[in-house]
Order: sequence, then C-alpha cells, then structure tokens
Amino acid sequence: MLLEDVPEGDCLVVSLKEKRLDAVIAASFREALVERIDQGQRNIVLDMTDVNFMDSSGLGAVVFILKHLGHKGRLHICGVTPGVMAVLRLTRMDRVLKTFETRQAAVAA
Amino acid sequence: MDCPEPLHLVVPATLLDARAATERVVKLCGRFDTEERARYGTAVMEWLVNVVKHSYCHAAGARITIHALVGPDAIELMVEDTGLGMAPWKFDAAPSEVLFDQTDIASLPESGMGLAIIKSVMDSVHYQTEHGINRLTAVRRWER
Repeated sequence: MLLEDVPEGDCLVVSLKEKRLDAVIAASFREALVERIDQGQRNIVLDMTDVNFMDSSGLGAVVFILKHLGHKGRLHICGVTPGVMAVLRLTRMDRVLKTFETRQAAVAA
Repeated sequence: MDCPEPLHLVVPATLLDARAATERVVKLCGRFDTEERARYGTAVMEWLVNVVKHSYCHAAGARITIHALVGPDAIELMVEDTGLGMAPWKFDAAPSEVLFDQTDIASLPESGMGLAIIKSVMDSVHYQTEHGINRLTAVRRWER
C-alpha cells in the first residue's frame, strides 16, 4: 500500500496511491493513519483522488480514523471519485464524513 | 441485445482472489453507470470477503465458486462455499440498510455493514445452506 504525505498549513495531506481501498489493504491503511495520529498529527486531509473503489472494510477503516481522532482533531476528505461517493451515499456515511471538492478547500476548512 | 457469456469461476478463498473475482464480475456490468457499477461491485466484494473471513476463516486451500449470468433484464449472481456458513435466519434478519445515529460519532459502525450493503444493492437476494454447501443467489435488474 502506498501513501504519500504532504504537510500543508496545519494539516497533513495523506494521499492514498491505490485504486482500491478494500479488505485487502484496510487494516494496513488504518494502522498507517493511526500511527500518524499517534505521532501528533491532529488535522488529517485524506486525498482519495486515485481511489475508485471502496468496500465496507475500507469505509470501516476511515470511520475508525475519524473516531480515533475524536475531538482532538479533524478528518477531511477530498478527491472523492464517483465510485467512492456511491458507497458513501449507499451507507449514508456522506452525512458524517466531511468531503470537499478540492484539496485546497479541505485544507482551508 | 447480445449478452456477455456467463462467468464461471472457482477461486481460492483469499482476499486478493476475492478482489480479482469481483473485478471479473463487475466487467459484466457495462450497462450500469459508474456509480451503480461501484455499488454492485461493493456488494459482490462484501459477500466474497464474508466467505473468506467468516465462512472459511481464511483456511488455506478453500475455494469459492462464482457464477454470474447476464440477461436482458438483470444480472444474476450465485456464490457457493463449503465453509462454516451462517444460519439462514441470521442472514434474513440482517437489516437492509446501514443504521446508525449520525449525531453520535462514537457509535458509527466500523464493521458489520456488508449484509446491509448487499441487501440494499440487490433486488432480490437469497441465502441457503444445504448438504454442506452455502449458496447466495442475488439478482440485480439493470433498470429499477
């Protein structure tokens, strides 16, 4: 699994460089993000531009990260492709996870 | 209208093979738009992962049989395994949508969404276990 970290403002932008966030990589993805949070990153922007498929394991990992941050920080998501948005809407998680059209908007919010 | 040939796969019960099999099935769904294809693919992946994790418990050497039949009105999927399976009543009792209180972040589900996804995506879905074979049959119409 390939992640790319870029600090921007008070955020860490984490780009998932995979086509699929699914059961195959969900656990390692979750652990990698938790590691960043536990090292002190409080404001995470997850850039999902390259991801065109997500299953409930992948979604569960994102939810875990949101809960792990709790009130200590924020999780913003950008680059949501139609395939990922379809699953967010299907599960109604689009009402909970904060998504933004652009990376700049996600960092600034 | 010409329909693609039926797909018949027997694949190892691993997460990687579940992913590859899902991609093969989704390739039959050219009549769906991008979002519907994603929803359908997610539902297929949910069941295959369920089989790998819960029916076979990641047992080495286990196999999953997958049939997909494309018709003029719908795509029919049948998935068979010979693992532990689940009680059909439990399958039937699972909700058909992901339920949570969106005002309570701590209560958001991180797992257990698979059956709800399958039931909400498919137009009809049936699960049975008989003579040691667990079989999911799911039909999704092209038009709703």
